[in-house]
Amino acid sequence: MADLYPIRLTVNGQTHQCSVEPRTHLVDFVRETLGLKGSHLGCEHGVCGACTVELNGHSVRGCLTLAVQADGGTVNTIEGLSRAGVIRDLQAAFVQHNALQCGFCTSGMLMAAKELVEQRPDANRAEVREWISGNYCRCTGYHAIVDAICEVLQQRKAAASLMEAPA
Amino acid sequence: MKAAAFDYVKPRSIDQVIALLQQHGDDARLLAGGQSLLASLNMRLSEPRLLVDIGGLDALRGISVQGGQLRIGALTTHTEIEGSALVAQHAPLLSAAAPHIAHRAIRNAGTWGGSIAHADAAAEWPACLLALGGTVVAHGPKGERRIAADDFFQGLYATALEPEEVLVAGELPLAMPVSWYAFGELARRRGDYAIVGMALTGRRSAGVLADTRIVLMGVDSTPLRARKTEALLNGQVLDEALAAAVAASLRAEIDPLPDLTNTPETKRHLAGVLLQRLLNSARA
Amino acid sequence: MELNGSLWIGAPRPKVWDGLNDAEILVRSIPGCESMEVISPTERAARVMVKVGPVRARFTGHVHMEDIRPGEGCTLHFEGSGGPAGMAKGHSAVKLTDEEGGTRLQYTVQASVGGKLGQVGGRMIDAAAKQMADQFFAAFNAALVEAQPEAQAVQAAQEAPAQPAATQATAAEVAPASAVPPGPTAPTLATEANASALSVPAVAAPSPRVVRPPAPPAPAPVGEGVRVLWFALGALSTGFGVWIASLLSR
Repeated sequence: MADLYPIRLTVNGQTHQCSVEPRTHLVDFVRETLGLKGSHLGCEHGVCGACTVELNGHSVRGCLTLAVQADGGTVNTIEGLSRAGVIRDLQAAFVQHNALQCGFCTSGMLMAAKELVEQRPDANRAEVREWISGNYCRCTGYHAIVDAICEVLQQRKAAASLMEAPA
Repeated sequence: MKAAAFDYVKPRSIDQVIALLQQHGDDARLLAGGQSLLASLNMRLSEPRLLVDIGGLDALRGISVQGGQLRIGALTTHTEIEGSALVAQHAPLLSAAAPHIAHRAIRNAGTWGGSIAHADAAAEWPACLLALGGTVVAHGPKGERRIAADDFFQGLYATALEPEEVLVAGELPLAMPVSWYAFGELARRRGDYAIVGMALTGRRSAGVLADTRIVLMGVDSTPLRARKTEALLNGQVLDEALAAAVAASLRAEIDPLPDLTNTPETKRHLAGVLLQRLLNSARA
Repeated sequence: MELNGSLWIGAPRPKVWDGLNDAEILVRSIPGCESMEVISPTERAARVMVKVGPVRARFTGHVHMEDIRPGEGCTLHFEGSGGPAGMAKGHSAVKLTDEEGGTRLQYTVQASVGGKLGQVGGRMIDAAAKQMADQFFAAFNAALVEAQPEAQAVQAAQEAPAQPAATQATAAEVAPASAVPPGPTAPTLATEANASALSVPAVAAPSPRVVRPPAPPAPAPVGEGVRVLWFALGALSTGFGVWIASLLSR
């Protein structure tokens, strides 16, 4: 029944042309077809956040997005974002604050946190907690994760005000 | 769990979509944001043969003011509504409700039209559409038609949409200076479906209320208007005594259905609590 | 999940009781019912396609009747499996009393739904059950009203040599032939059933149109053969066992 559907998309800066079963999730596509295992599978119905990836500039649930829906689009996974920028700052803060143990939730947490830092640079602690409530962690108890994110927000605010300060 | 196999097509026009629906009937399902549909498919609660992706219909996108109404295209995402200046100006109830919808990643993909067509009784947009007296714009084999929100939600996940109709937009009356609104949800965790949720709207002139609508989420098989309690508020000036009296009326008026973790009595009690809270904060 | 209900049916109590025991009427009344097999006077097996919103789950289940007080009431124990969607089981008590020229039917249902449907749909189970109960009783009411003139037609169809050696001819196989207006063949029936099943949830008030199931393929002769085979195997192995035992005890 299911014919393979051709798709063409850019993942972490590289263009791929493949044929996929329509039912293939985006997260399964990046993991199995492209070998990018950094994004994880948890609940497979959108609540745990472990599969969070970036599609066309927005964080999405990789398990609630079909690979065919990403046809013509741009996908970024944790592997593609770790070299610089928000993710790298967050990763340094996560390490410093011991914000990961088994690491299973971490890539999803970082994707969610990246969007927060970009969209809500003035977020306070309560807002950070609300924002990441869509990502489940079973190991850390969350406080260290919130600490790490708040630190990155703080660093960026300080850097921004330094730049605005009169010479 | 992975979904069962299905075919996929992404039509380029609404007429193609309608033709496919006519051809395949219940074997086909429309795919917009997919945040509810794909979850059902992943759990194999549904195994359609064909998914018709309407994401290619650009005419279904966008927020604009047209003919004295705020028109929100079906494919507008929850995040787009959350961040829209037009919505903040003309339908601020939606701006208040949007952050309650699941979590950011879901809001980035889920759509206004999808939520209203799915008609979950605990969802935010069906309740807001009903509270604002909005209109659904549907397109089918016989052309376009408009369905008032009061006539739209008919039963559990059941709407007035015909099987071959596509919801293309939702229209809302523009807020006026005398309009007031309040929105609240009580849920175990942020982003959960509401145990009880409420959208309040109306007009207020010199403190006197009129045209009040009280819409409840999560207590019945559709978003529920508490008409008897609405009538109690109209013509009155809001004060603490009225808020308490009205909360009691609401508790008596509704007959909530339970869910897995909340009895009808819990929901009844929480509905009164929520109404009182929202009315008291509206006074401030 | 608990559900209680009470409704008045404009038919005499014996007729309502007969209707509740009539597989043909039940098939037409249960929303999404595809087939119902009479296994014994107190047991039924049914296949029901549950449609609520996007969910489509085909349940195969058993209903067992107990504490039968003819004309007055009984208790039904049911359990069913919906494949990957989950399972349901529970019991329900039905009580009939005379009231104002008709019958007062009171029912209570206690059920648990497990598996995915239970976990994910838990918040909607009560609403879904209530809706299905409302649909059932609306259709049941209508079917009772229609049943009287059709009784003769059903009789005639049953007597016709339609299914060979079907000692347990499912009443469902018979019903569509007599109850549906002439013209539609089986495949069309299926579409009709789907179309009306789709629109039933959208109708707020009970409609006179009743969900008609498609005529299912006749499993009875095959089932009968299989049962005979198992019986024969059982008899043979018992005989063998007895013979071996007699050998060993010498």
